[in-house]
Amino acid sequence: MRILFYFLPKLAVAAITMLGVSALVFLSLRMIPGGYADVLLGPFVTPEAREAIAVRYGLDQPLLIQYLNWLGALFQGDLGVSMVTRAPVLDEFLRRAPVTLELALLALIVALAGGLPLGILAGIAPPDHRGGLLARLVGALGASVPDFVLGSLLIFVFSVWSLWLRVGGYVGPIEDPVGNLRVMLLPALTLSLFGIALVLRTTRDAVLRVMTEGHITTALARGERPIDIVRLHVLRNAAIPVVTVVTTYFGFLLGGAVVVEVLFSIPGIGFFIFSGLENRDYAIVQAGVLIAAAVFITINMLADLAYALIDPRVGSGRH
Amino acid sequence: MFSILWRLDRLSRFGLGLLIFLILLGLVGPHLPLGDPMRIGAGPRLTPPSWQFPFGTDELGRSFLPRVVDGIRATFLLSAVAVIITAVIGTLLGMVSGFFGGFADQLVARGADILFAFPAILAGLLIAAVMGPGQISAIAVISVATLPLFIRVVRAVTLGLASRGFIVAAQVAGASPWRVMMVHILPNIIGAVIVQLTYALSIGMIIESALSFLGLGVQPPYASLGSLLRQGSAYLTFAPWLVLSSGAVLSAAIMSVNLTGDAVRDALEPLKGRSLT
Repeated sequence: MRILFYFLPKLAVAAITMLGVSALVFLSLRMIPGGYADVLLGPFVTPEAREAIAVRYGLDQPLLIQYLNWLGALFQGDLGVSMVTRAPVLDEFLRRAPVTLELALLALIVALAGGLPLGILAGIAPPDHRGGLLARLVGALGASVPDFVLGSLLIFVFSVWSLWLRVGGYVGPIEDPVGNLRVMLLPALTLSLFGIALVLRTTRDAVLRVMTEGHITTALARGERPIDIVRLHVLRNAAIPVVTVVTTYFGFLLGGAVVVEVLFSIPGIGFFIFSGLENRDYAIVQAGVLIAAAVFITINMLADLAYALIDPRVGSGRH
Repeated sequence: MFSILWRLDRLSRFGLGLLIFLILLGLVGPHLPLGDPMRIGAGPRLTPPSWQFPFGTDELGRSFLPRVVDGIRATFLLSAVAVIITAVIGTLLGMVSGFFGGFADQLVARGADILFAFPAILAGLLIAAVMGPGQISAIAVISVATLPLFIRVVRAVTLGLASRGFIVAAQVAGASPWRVMMVHILPNIIGAVIVQLTYALSIGMIIESALSFLGLGVQPPYASLGSLLRQGSAYLTFAPWLVLSSGAVLSAAIMSVNLTGDAVRDALEPLKGRSLT
């Protein structure tokens, strides 16, 4: 009951947000110079052909009606048709989604495995401790080196010294699991550097904040071992901000890491959307932005639900 | 003010020094005897770094060092312009939202939610489709990505201030809402805005360079650090100095902003740790 009353308003806000996103995306595509007929038929278009296209796609109707029609089609899973392949856009996206999902999961695992321990270390280490300084340095580097810089560097290193990992030449995980890992590891590492920094900095801040609270003093006074204090008192209380950034980061990864997928020629969603822009196949760009925003909003809603499960006070009216 | 400088630790002082150095370099770069960034055939094509060409030459024989210095200015300038415009708009919206509450608040907060749901680079692709690639598009993308940050922080701080005694007293004394916001609230939120400004600047620089790297930002013959990297990545295996030099300078520039941001935040909202032993 508590969770339901807490969650329903969040659901309503998410629905409103999604509606706003869809309206903006719809409007933006109507604002493309030249309009749909020019994009579809090219520059040498007769007024009659333009008219015919307008009638056929309902472009002669008021904007609001057009939007509602478009929204209605959206609810039936109709995201439009690719002008290049003539296939439904949704199918094209679903076909590529597993690639992006795998990349996102790999990057997330590396980010957590690297960021959490370093962040806790930076949070509990005394100010002049060498580990704490190292953690801060990794945090600063990870937040500062853009993914395409790190990616280019890795591509250079691994194309000059052909180590075990590979650059480009994607193979699916089912045909060749080992080969798939050889291809995916570098882009995943590239993506995860920012994640490591993000998790590290958030964990450090959260741990520092918890450490100043009264119950830590009490635990210290009771003579509990430092490792127990961290495990029992600090981590649980520091969890919420960490969950927040991890979900935001994961939502961002699922939206298709355009730059990294383009750089490493990984045939995922991000690469697909970018090629859509290059081919002036705007239905793909439109659908891509919409899907990414929807995924992002859904993931954040799930995070809200997770808070209520982690912290019994959330939504009880006393928080 | 300057006493803060002496309390900084080594890492923060390094970051601040690097930031000042890079900004000065970008500003006075064109007047330094580095060579002409646009002169084609100043040397042989794609020569490795030497005393004459410290960062080597590119595929048209242009000296790469002055191009990188030009790129520093373009990257900083474009991101700074975008972020400062966004900060002003976001601060106003956030203050109105937190101070008035009610319908205005709902409108602004939901608007921020909507903008926040757009992944920055994908929004960049959409905006490039609508407005065409270029500097104005890049500024728009940076604004879309960083506006929610300003709105959310300013709104939260303003909400906390709105019920405080000195605000209520000003209202009772007959001050207009505009005067209350500008004279009484703004000085109390400016610290939070500055902290947010440094983070937004680093986000802006990352977005600008990523867009330029994809060919959607600064257009040739002008160059930003991102477009230089794009240019160099075609010759990565046999002329790696192009990518390595522009990538290193770009990373250093973003890191200097980040470290300065950390220092500003530590100075304005200190968060003291404690030892477990």
